[in-house]
This record gives sequence, C-alpha cells and structure tokens, in this order.
Amino acid sequence: MTQLGRKILIVVIAFAAILLVITYIVPRLGDRGREGPPPGVQRVSEETRSVSLFYVNEKADGFRTQMRVVPADGDIEDQVKVVSAEFVKGPENDDLVTTFPDGALLLQVFWVEETQTVHLDFNRALVTNHQGGSTAEYYTISTVLKTVGANFPQIRLVQFLIDGYPVETIAGHYAVDEPLDILRWR
Amino acid sequence: MSDSTTLGVHAAAAVVALLLLAACPVTAFADKPDATLGVVYAEGRRTEDVPLYRLERGSEELYISSFDIARIFKATKYWSPESRKLVLRIDSRRYLFTIDTRVVVVDEEPMLLRVPIRYADGSVMVPLEFVTEVLTPRSREAIELDEERLVLTIGSPDYNITGIRFVEDDEGTRAEMDLAGELLYHVDSDTPGILRIKIYGGRLNPLKMTVPEGRGLFNRVRAEQTEFDAYLFFDVKRTAARFKVEFESAGDVLERERKLVIYLEKGEPPEIPDVDYAGKRMLEILDDETIRKEKTPIRVIAIDPGHGGIDNGKVGVTGVLEKNVNLEVALMLRDRLVGDLGLEVVLTRDTDELIPFDRRVEIANSAVADIFISIHCNGWYSPSAGGVETLFLAPARTENEARLAREENASIRFENPDLDPAEVDDLDFILWDMVQNEFINESSGLAEIVQKELADVLDIRNRGVKQGGLRVLKGLRMPAVLVELAFLSNPREEELLTREDFQERVVRGIVEAMRRYQEAHTVYTR
Repeated sequence: MTQLGRKILIVVIAFAAILLVITYIVPRLGDRGREGPPPGVQRVSEETRSVSLFYVNEKADGFRTQMRVVPADGDIEDQVKVVSAEFVKGPENDDLVTTFPDGALLLQVFWVEETQTVHLDFNRALVTNHQGGSTAEYYTISTVLKTVGANFPQIRLVQFLIDGYPVETIAGHYAVDEPLDILRWR
Repeated sequence: MSDSTTLGVHAAAAVVALLLLAACPVTAFADKPDATLGVVYAEGRRTEDVPLYRLERGSEELYISSFDIARIFKATKYWSPESRKLVLRIDSRRYLFTIDTRVVVVDEEPMLLRVPIRYADGSVMVPLEFVTEVLTPRSREAIELDEERLVLTIGSPDYNITGIRFVEDDEGTRAEMDLAGELLYHVDSDTPGILRIKIYGGRLNPLKMTVPEGRGLFNRVRAEQTEFDAYLFFDVKRTAARFKVEFESAGDVLERERKLVIYLEKGEPPEIPDVDYAGKRMLEILDDETIRKEKTPIRVIAIDPGHGGIDNGKVGVTGVLEKNVNLEVALMLRDRLVGDLGLEVVLTRDTDELIPFDRRVEIANSAVADIFISIHCNGWYSPSAGGVETLFLAPARTENEARLAREENASIRFENPDLDPAEVDDLDFILWDMVQNEFINESSGLAEIVQKELADVLDIRNRGVKQGGLRVLKGLRMPAVLVELAFLSNPREEELLTREDFQERVVRGIVEAMRRYQEAHTVYTR
C-alpha cells in the first residue's frame, strides 16, 4: 500500500470509529435519564397513582385538567380525601383558575356503595367565602363533580354537605340539596 | 504529502463520513409518524392527537410511545435502564415490559404480544395491541379503539345522542336521531339551506354523527359538541320545500329512549324559510290547512330580582352589590311592562330583603303568571370573562322528585276512585311528565328569544342559552328563565350595570323579547 493509501485508510478507520461511538454508545449514555425518574428513585413497588384535577380556563370557557401523582393506599374514602387535598391546592398554571373558594376544605367523606353516592362534607367556608355569580358557582360544582368522576369511576352521585347538612344552594343559583349525577348534571 | 493530496484525502474521508452517517440508525424513525391516533377523553371532552409509528420491518403493527400511554391512562412509570425494563402502573395493576421482547407481565401473569417492545429515540415504544388486548379488558374505565379510523375513546362517554340514519320515501326524506333521556332541542336556520339543531345537554360523538354523504333531500350532516350542548347542521337540497321536526317514541319508554326526526318534504325549490322556535313535543310547522292557530295572550309576568337582604349576591370590583342592580332593573322593567304594555307584573320582592326560594316560586304560581323572569348579575374569578347569558331549567329526576310527582298527582286518584291503581301510576308518570315538559319546552323557546334580544341590544359578549339545575326555577308552573345580565367581576361591565342607559337597554331587550315570544307562542290545534 502506498504512503497516501495508508493515510487514507487511517483517516477512514478513524472516522468510522468516531461514527460508531456517536451512533451506538453516546445515545445510550444520554438516555439514562430520559425514561423516568433519576436513578436514585427506582422503587418499582411504590403505591402511587396519577389523578386528574379539573380547573377552568381564565375566560370561563371550559375545563382543563392537571395531573398529579398521589399515594394510592387506603380505601375509597381515604383516596377521595387525598384527591380533594390536592384539588384544593389549586392549579399550577397561571392561566387556569380554581373555582374552589379560599379556606374551603373537605372535612369528611362518606361513601355509600349501594347508591354509588359519595357524601362530601365541606366546611362553611365553601358557602360564606364563595364570591358569587352563577358562572362561578356552576364551575365550583362541576369541577368537584368532574374531579371525583374522572378519578373514581365507581362513584355515580355526589351529595354536597355543609358542616354535615344539605343546603339549598352554594351561592344562590344551583340546587345542591339532592345528590348530583356526575355524568348528567348541568 | 503534497497539499493537493492532503486535500484529496480529506475530501474522500468527508464523503465516506457522510455516507456512514446516512446509514446511521440513530435517525431511525425521527420525526414523521406513520399514523395519528385521535384520543377522545369523554369526561372532559378533550381530544388530542398522538403519533404512531411502524417500527417492525415486515409488520403493519403501529407503536405508541410509553410517554403517551402513561399520560392517557394516568399511569405511573418506572424505567430501569440496566435491565431494560419498564413498569407501568395503571388502575393499581402492574404491567412489566422488557425491551426487545414480546412479553408483558400483568401483575404475575405473562402475556405475549404479536411484536416486541422497542426502544427508539429515548422512548419505550409499545405496540397499540397492548391497549386493545391487554389494557382494555382490565381497565376500570371504558376504553374503545376504533381501529379503522384510529380513534381511541377513554371514559364512559354517556352519549345521549347515539345514532343517525336516513329513510327515504316518495314524499321526502327523514333524518332520524336516536336519543336517550329527556332532551330538548331548538331549530333555526340562519343560512338558507342549512338547518341547525341545538340539543341542550346533548352529548354525541362528533366523528360518528357527522355524515359526509346524506341521502335523499339531505346533502350532509355535520355534528359538533360544545361544553354544554350538541349541534347538528343539516345541509339540505334546494328541492326540499318544507320541514317538520318532532319526537317519536322508540325503544324503552322507561329509559326515555326516543327518536328526533326531521322530515323534509319534496317540493318546488325555494330555500328553507327562516325559523326560530324551540322544540315542542308534537309541533308541526308545515303549512297545513287543518291546523288552526290560537294565541294565548300574556297577561301576567312574574319578575324575580335575585338575592336580597343579607344575601348580597356577587360583589363587584368597586363594591357594587348584585342584589341592588337586580332590584333596580326589576323595578324599571315593571314600570315599562305596566305603563307601556298594560301588563300585570308581580315582583317576588320590591325591597332589599331575602326571600326564600320556595316563597318566590309560590308568589309566581299563585299569581298564575304567564312568564317568570329572574334577574341576576354574574361573577367570575378573572376580570376577562364577560357577557350576557340566559338559563332555563334542567330538571333532575331523582328519587325524591319521582315521589313528589306521585304525591302531587294523588288528586287524580281522589277524583277518579274507579281507576285501576296500576293504571293510575302510569297516568301519574305520564301526566307529570307532560306538565313538566310543557313548561320546560316553552322555557327553552323563551330563553332563546330573550337571549337573542339582549345580545342584540347590549354591546357585550353573547354567552348563549344554557340549561341548568337552578333552584329558583324548580316548581314553577309557567315558562321561566333566569337572566345573567353581565359580569360584576368585569370592570367595564360592572360600570355598565350601574348606568341607567344600560339598564334601559336591558329593559328594552326584555320587552321586545316578550313581544316576540307572544307572537311565536301559539297553541296548535287540529
């Protein structure tokens, strides 16, 4: 082989070697973090689940969902409390609003399997701190209904309670004295 | 080596490098998907498009990224790069995938897919088969994959408008829509040749209900689903002369299954005439000589200024109280209706006091009012929302209401002691049904007219007509609406609501709506 030929061969092999590195080895290194949580958190038996929380866009045009990861242990009543606690924290985006009044909290949950009804006992703040307006009230009720419905398909009806008692309305417009059908209420 | 030779060497190497790069599998499936999966979320009625890829040579199988699967099915994902295993937790079940194998372990049970799991471009790719064969039977939520149209529907959509078909005969063509549940409709035609049907609270699958090629006198149908209602746009041939819309019973009466039928009659051209009316149970608008129209005049109007007393209602940005605006508008409206139109007006309150809902209903019912209008102002959490909207009652038939219906109609039994009790129960059901429906049907018509007049006369956004489970409208025995004039949370609208000229326009709009409702409100008898 000539001097020149040898040089060409070396250059070609060098390029081929570099390309091999680029093609097969570098991607493997880079991808280590791309599939999931960093290597430290690799517990495969953790009990968590993703839940959808419903909020509303700024213009009051429609619902938007946000996903959160929550612990998945406990019975359905515990789970509803967990989801509710997340829901009350509010949306993580600035362009979404929560229609749940400040200071309003879920006190207790009662699940009645025979009627597929969950009774949500809220504190008085849900009524007294509600800012009013039928659009606001509509979304207050429906974000609760949709959040429950999306995460607990076995729940069909929601009964609102304030300090343990049913009320006629939350802000003077929509009747909540009876259980509301998650899929049919409007 | 000379300079030109060095250059030649470098050039050759560059060419070789480029050729090798081109063969690089890193650029494997890069950006262009082979297909797109439309995902429909039935609860939130969102949709999104998810890319699908063909990764197996010699196979038509489509792959979906595990990122997308995790998002769509609300799964938690764990990835072990050392063992090349992926775990998805969906609905408290554990799905274990191993890259480059066809095995997926569901909890403890291994299952075999047709093609292996692949890893490409930083993502674990799962065959779509996993969704249909493995996930769907185990999911708590309803999952439906239309493999032909590549549409994945998640969640129980609870569609209440489920099918559409056309039937032709010598006289014309029928379009039949299958409905489940108590639904009301409104028909209008703003564009000649297009019939628009709005179904309050309707839920349909727009992909399934859109018919690109109709039959007979129907050219095509386009279906749309909004947050609250369903719309069907019927494109009709010019040779359709007249039309009628009505309900027909079908299927399970107790489940309230029935058909909504649009019948187009053949005739000489012109376009479909402008119509603007709300659904009644058996209303024909064909120009038929056997029908005589009778107008029942409106004499008494009940006006309900919302809130009052300790209930301020919405408090505006600068402190304006809804209860005061409601009363001001109500008093102005009363003066106009009494003074100019000579009508009788009953107010549920004329001072700043809180009247219970049942009392408001009782006032209107005992006055035997012909129309009920509740006046409110709206509120929201951001100043950007605005506009006027009109609502009418969406009844919820709960156990209690069914019982109430039986109790209320107990008087029928009292008056007719010879009736068979079983028959009477059926009668109760039917009569209560008819009574409720009659007023709600008319309420939807009233609402559409009021909303249109207010939207025309006020310079704010038209938020449309909505149906809602409104407390103050429950138990009323006349067509009834609740008007949300504008938003007190919107600075511009709060200012308008306090101005007399705006309130004047509101009153003018409502008065005009009364006049138009009177005209449209006819009782057809044969």
